[in-house]
Amino acid sequence: MARYGMALDYKNCINCKACESACKEENGILLGADSHRIWVGVRGIEGVFPNLSIGSSSYQPSQCQQCDNAPCQSVCPTNATYYDDNGVVRVNPDQCILCTYCMQACPYDARYIDDRTMTVDKCNFCSDTRMIQGETTTACQATCPTKVRIFGDLDDPQSEISKVLRDREYYKLKEHLGTQPKLFYLT
Amino acid sequence: MKTEISRRRFLQGSAALTVVGVSGAASALIKIEEKSEIANFALTKTQITGKLQKIPTLCEMCVNKCAAMARVEDGKLTKLNPNPLFPKSRNMLCARGNAGIQALEDPDRLKYPLIRVGERGEGKFKRVTWDEAYEHIKDKMVKILDEEKDNRSTIGFCAGEGMAEHTYASFMKDKIGSFNFVNHSSICLATTIAGYTLTLGGYGQADLDNAEYVIMAGANRAEAIVTPDTMDLFKRTKGRGTRLVVIDPRFTNTAAHADTWLPIEVGTDLAFVLALTYVAFMEGHYNKRFAQENMSDFEAYKKHIINNKYTPEWAESITGIKAEEIRKISRDFMAHAPRSIYYQGRRTAWSHQDYQLRRAQAIFTALGGGIDKKGGIVFGKKLPLGEHNIPSPSYDNAKERIEKDKAAVVGSSGSWIAWRNTVIDGTAPYQIRAFFAYKQNPMLSVPNTKKTKQMLEKMDLVVVIDTMPSDTVMMADVILPESVYLEREDPVKTFGGSEPSIALRKQVVEAKHDTKPVIEIMRGLGEKLSKPLFEISKKYDESLQGEIADRGEAVVYKEEGYDLADGYRHSQTAINHHMVASVYGEEAWDMLQEKGVFYPDMDKFFKKRSVNEYQYYPEHEKSYSVITGDLINEPYHDTCVDTEEIAVLKKDFRTATKKVACALYNLKEKKGIDAMPAWRNELYKPTPEGRFRFITGRHGQFTQSGSSNNALLLDLLSENHLWINKRVADEKGIGLDDMVEVKSSIGAIHIKAYPTEKIGSNVVFFAHGFGAESSELTLAHHRGANDNLIIEDHYEKAFGSAAMHETIVDIRRV
Repeated sequence: MARYGMALDYKNCINCKACESACKEENGILLGADSHRIWVGVRGIEGVFPNLSIGSSSYQPSQCQQCDNAPCQSVCPTNATYYDDNGVVRVNPDQCILCTYCMQACPYDARYIDDRTMTVDKCNFCSDTRMIQGETTTACQATCPTKVRIFGDLDDPQSEISKVLRDREYYKLKEHLGTQPKLFYLT
Repeated sequence: MKTEISRRRFLQGSAALTVVGVSGAASALIKIEEKSEIANFALTKTQITGKLQKIPTLCEMCVNKCAAMARVEDGKLTKLNPNPLFPKSRNMLCARGNAGIQALEDPDRLKYPLIRVGERGEGKFKRVTWDEAYEHIKDKMVKILDEEKDNRSTIGFCAGEGMAEHTYASFMKDKIGSFNFVNHSSICLATTIAGYTLTLGGYGQADLDNAEYVIMAGANRAEAIVTPDTMDLFKRTKGRGTRLVVIDPRFTNTAAHADTWLPIEVGTDLAFVLALTYVAFMEGHYNKRFAQENMSDFEAYKKHIINNKYTPEWAESITGIKAEEIRKISRDFMAHAPRSIYYQGRRTAWSHQDYQLRRAQAIFTALGGGIDKKGGIVFGKKLPLGEHNIPSPSYDNAKERIEKDKAAVVGSSGSWIAWRNTVIDGTAPYQIRAFFAYKQNPMLSVPNTKKTKQMLEKMDLVVVIDTMPSDTVMMADVILPESVYLEREDPVKTFGGSEPSIALRKQVVEAKHDTKPVIEIMRGLGEKLSKPLFEISKKYDESLQGEIADRGEAVVYKEEGYDLADGYRHSQTAINHHMVASVYGEEAWDMLQEKGVFYPDMDKFFKKRSVNEYQYYPEHEKSYSVITGDLINEPYHDTCVDTEEIAVLKKDFRTATKKVACALYNLKEKKGIDAMPAWRNELYKPTPEGRFRFITGRHGQFTQSGSSNNALLLDLLSENHLWINKRVADEKGIGLDDMVEVKSSIGAIHIKAYPTEKIGSNVVFFAHGFGAESSELTLAHHRGANDNLIIEDHYEKAFGSAAMHETIVDIRRV
């Protein structure tokens, strides 16, 4: 029993997409630009050459926010989307009927259709691929060249993520929607 | 359906609610139009089904050699994870590293030896056995060498960078006996290696883990990933320890991390560095004690810079960078020195003045004292390996390289452009009749593809060793398929630096096809060629005839190394075992086998510091300062910080003068190369009004043409686009994804446009490595454009290095 979350030192991100490719290899994600579990958001730069605003350009690695109050879970008519024992929002492919309510409900655009399993899939913190093998890192965290991600148990006060969240400032995405995301962007 | 705005947007934090689309940003470029085609290569989801193995390897998706742990389940490779034990790659694997599985699984791989049956380049081949392939090569080689009277240099050969490059090159050079070797150096880093080595005694390593001020000019470490530089730098940018100044005509992902980004006129960096130096001298902001003790011909250089009036205002008129910016950067650099670095750069094949540019950078860095110093450029240590010596015959009739006079200094790895042009322009002192290529694709990697094709067409024999049917492979007579890196053990390698180590690429899986590692190919070729080629030498080589008369044929054959396979008969594992165990013992070898990495005291030093970070060496065990010298204990006041530490040691640098060499009079006298970096107007042509200078470069999800057929990477970046200034594009009526023609004096290509404010009005750019012609590359074929169809074959005249940014182009919508 744990409550998994992830802190992102997003200022380290160089938009190299190692995370995206590691996720695909680890979790067998079908290729195709819209079928990602994770991605790097790029904000276009402001200004006119040569006077560009460096600060306006930034990279935001993102994925399912693993909300404690997940809209995608509450709208699911078949309970295909569920919380596992570790607080991870997961999908049961056998129960998914592709109604796509979850896709509409998710404010983070984190759900996509896997044409192969006919499931509206999403990031599950590598629960069925790495955690089950005893790994303690997600594929995206392990592979990251500049070490953006810190994955861990929010309920364990000794975990590194707990320490980092005590010591550093962070923000969450669209917190006002009451989704209670468990991804923390460190500032 | 064409979507320009990604569904997945940049989501702002809850504090600021504006949502900005990515139009015009890089992620708009990753749409895969032929989605179904790529999606056919479904990836395998990890399953725990049976026997699980973790096998250490070193990545070969680019030249970095990051350490990976391969997860093999029931004999099948299911995932490559970073191996945290390797100091050089610090627990990471980039997108390309992760895509290594695709290199193994690619259905288009070369699967067995092939011999051409149609016209050269037509693409018709028949499957043969390895012996038939070797036999074919032997027949051609015997005929050619007999006709050329045993001039071994009639066989040209090239190689791309790789762990087995030496195995191949030593076979071709030392055993076959040809001097005509060209490799990636002259189309990559020859000028910066030469510039730094001649000036400082070594290229060194930028200690970006500790630097406080970094000028990165033209280098793009966020996209052209180099370890450990990339990982070290970007954890400390954005106000977190390192001030980063990026000098680049483009706003790159590296520039996005900069404190200051200054677009410069292409080809004018030397003027910028000379002006930085001028400011330091005029204002007296430099490390005077370091200069006094450790720089040779320092006063002459100072005079040279000042007398030539390399003022910031002068530089502004050439570079487009404001004089005040130049003054500020020079002062800031020296204020942070010795933890200040003018980054050396890697692919520095840019302009005619590249070598002097690198010299000026090295000298400027030295003025701050940051050489052989923590936070500066360090040389570090290298752990020695045992020796594996192979006797090499000497051939009387092997002639000197054909392009040796085409530049002032042409080294043993040659000048690719000058060499190729010499083959085709009739100025060669003798004919090159055969060409061997290993792991290099000159059809796409050397400027002016048409000339490379002409060169290959002139050959009586073309042999290519590779893993994929590249455009160069398609020009071959004989194709020898190499096993991919995951299928082979390669020569063990020692990695120098402040945290030195030895690492091993172990074989991860059995070869999927009838392919071989290079050492076995050399063994097979050697066994086939030894006797017949020895017979030719006996016929023409008078020294050999004399030796045989004295000592007997059997003895000479054996002792002088005419058995061409003699160095390649042991297995790679046996050779590696000897190289490691003979120096560090059996335990070291065992550790290397299990963990992929070894260095003395690793078990004591290596510690996990956090979920992401590891300690390789304790701070006091790192090799920052390795050059010895004399301690001088007298107080000295200087403008730079840290005076006590840096001003007291007179070092013995590994240069001729044992000092940082400000002037190289020898090269002036013997080779006519300027002794001190000087701006040469005649070597710089400004971009004409209304036209564009073309620049090329790398990309973070795409190495070079070698990864052009990789489904996973194409999913991230489907093709290259032409960066063109948005306002200029508007004037020309060019919009995003519109097809444009880019035309230079040597050719024209079509490519989709990416109008952006991230590039100036007189420069255009697209990434290198796309645009393959080979129809055997299902995914890469005609995807994007090949830059070397338009890059003119200029090379600088000091070291014969390609000058890839000297091409002027015109753009029009088509």
